[in-house]
Amino acid sequence: MAENSGTDPTVDSNVVENAASDGTMIVVTVKTPKDKEEIAISEDSSVAQFKEEISKRFNAKQDQLVLIFAGKILKDGDTLNQHGIKDGLTVHLVIKTAPKTTVGGTSQSSASSSGTPQANSSINPSAVPNASTTPGTGPTPASTQPPNLLSGFGDLSSLSGMGMGSANFMEMQQQMQRQLMSNPEMLSQIMDNPLVQNMMSNPDLMRQMIVTNPQMQQLMERNPEISHMLNNPELMRQTMELARNPAMMQEMMRNQDRALSNLESIPGGYNALRRMYTDIQEPMFSAAREQFGNNPFSPSRTENREPLPNPWGPPGTSPSESRGTGASTTTTSSAGGTAPSASNPLGINASGLGNGVFGSPGMQSLMQQISENPQLMQNMLSAPYMRSMMQSLAQNPELASQGSNPTAATNPSQQQQQLMQQMLQMFAGGGGGSLTLTPEVRFQQQLDQLSAMGFINREANLQALIATGGDINAAIERLLGSQPS
Amino acid sequence: MMIWTRLPNQGKGVKVPRNFRLLEELEEGQKGVGDGTVSWGLEDDEDMTLTRWRGMIIGPPRTIYENRMYSLKVECGPRYPEAPPFVRFVTKINLNGVHNSNGVVDTRAVSALAKWQNSYSIRVVLQELRRLMMCKENMKLPQPPEGQIYTN
Repeated sequence: MAENSGTDPTVDSNVVENAASDGTMIVVTVKTPKDKEEIAISEDSSVAQFKEEISKRFNAKQDQLVLIFAGKILKDGDTLNQHGIKDGLTVHLVIKTAPKTTVGGTSQSSASSSGTPQANSSINPSAVPNASTTPGTGPTPASTQPPNLLSGFGDLSSLSGMGMGSANFMEMQQQMQRQLMSNPEMLSQIMDNPLVQNMMSNPDLMRQMIVTNPQMQQLMERNPEISHMLNNPELMRQTMELARNPAMMQEMMRNQDRALSNLESIPGGYNALRRMYTDIQEPMFSAAREQFGNNPFSPSRTENREPLPNPWGPPGTSPSESRGTGASTTTTSSAGGTAPSASNPLGINASGLGNGVFGSPGMQSLMQQISENPQLMQNMLSAPYMRSMMQSLAQNPELASQGSNPTAATNPSQQQQQLMQQMLQMFAGGGGGSLTLTPEVRFQQQLDQLSAMGFINREANLQALIATGGDINAAIERLLGSQPS
Repeated sequence: MMIWTRLPNQGKGVKVPRNFRLLEELEEGQKGVGDGTVSWGLEDDEDMTLTRWRGMIIGPPRTIYENRMYSLKVECGPRYPEAPPFVRFVTKINLNGVHNSNGVVDTRAVSALAKWQNSYSIRVVLQELRRLMMCKENMKLPQPPEGQIYTN
């Protein structure tokens, strides 16, 4: 055997191994953004050894650990001495979570996950922007994923595999979405999938999924309340509970129907509701148009017993893009099908944003629209978020009165009241009533007013009211305009 | 004369000797004062002038910077802390207020630098930069691949 040169490796390793016991022990604090641990280590050790100790204590793999001291990253080959790490000092630790639950990595992480459509890895907000800017990192279909929340249920894409020969993951997802849209049972199957439930029980994950969607992001920009809401884990959890449990949602909707009729008696409740509805009006209106055609809810019911509007509707047809008013706008996406799971979670918890919603100036136009179209009203009310909002309003009269404009509260215009009453009539009106109230019934109060003012031609009044959607002032102008001056 | 022995604090009108301040900041950096999302220290431990510093910002969660570590160089000139330090990113980053070509931080874009006070510190600057990463206008900016650094 050749002579050993200089230092005997085995001896060296022994020395190294014994260093831990021979060298002076120091206690170093290891701090993560969330945690803090004190670790005893020999002052002569290397960073690698230090990481070994840390990985045991923090239950993370060594290669996930990144140590920072005094503004420098500690490399495995360095020693603690080299960096001047002494007893009592603090080292910062970042545990790089593998692209399993954490989103917001690099395009590389999305590229690497493209092969296996894991539930979480495909949700990568940076994948969307990165894919477009990263030159030639081999953009696989997965790394150029559209903001498709369904991508989260990647491993259910096998479902879409049936009957579809698309090799493109993206296409598969879209097809799956389409299938889901047409088949509510599939939806409930998916909901039952423990993986899905697991995912939905992770607020951070849900939040990230929601944030990924560019339409959501737009909404968030317009409405800080949404991002606040998203940042509130409690709220998210609640929301997800609801989203997971369709039966619960329906139950809630029914409760709210009843609760709403109680709102009549709350001072200022009318106005609160009015404002609330206006906020939702725009998106809902267009959503109702786009997705539901005329009226998917049969006119003989006020409550929605059909399967919930498909949360995984096709993205890109979302009207909410063009109109983002209130927080409840997000729920429109449920109707418009933009942010799949976002719609429900956010919708349900729009109640959390009650205060923010109330101030919106958009209310007025909502009211007009509503009075024009009782069916729109119905559509709106059936939406999950409406229920939650109404419920929260009912439970929280202070909230309702807070939300109401003081001046308006003390001096509600006749018209507002009428509109409110009409709305209340519509959904408090149980199962038997027909939704399509005749204009005469709708505008009863206005007609009375007009006749009190001296416009005795009921027919003309009615026409004018219909034309102006119940707006008395506009109707009067119309009537005056048609009379000889 | 008593003033010279006073420890650096937020006291207005107390001019703290530069080295006192920097030594204190050095100690804070080693002790991990703060929330653990930024770190700073001397670039070279032998640097007696305490001029060249290194900083590290951990990308804030729920932004595109999440899970990334951004290395910076901070230079505290002779008039520090009366004058703000020069800051530049070493790790490539796409952030409003940071020059794309060399990572130099635009003093006017960072309010801590633009409206510098002698009570501010390196930590304050790093934390402010981190806060900027969380702003709406920045949090979704597409980023260069991880690990790239500015070469000039």
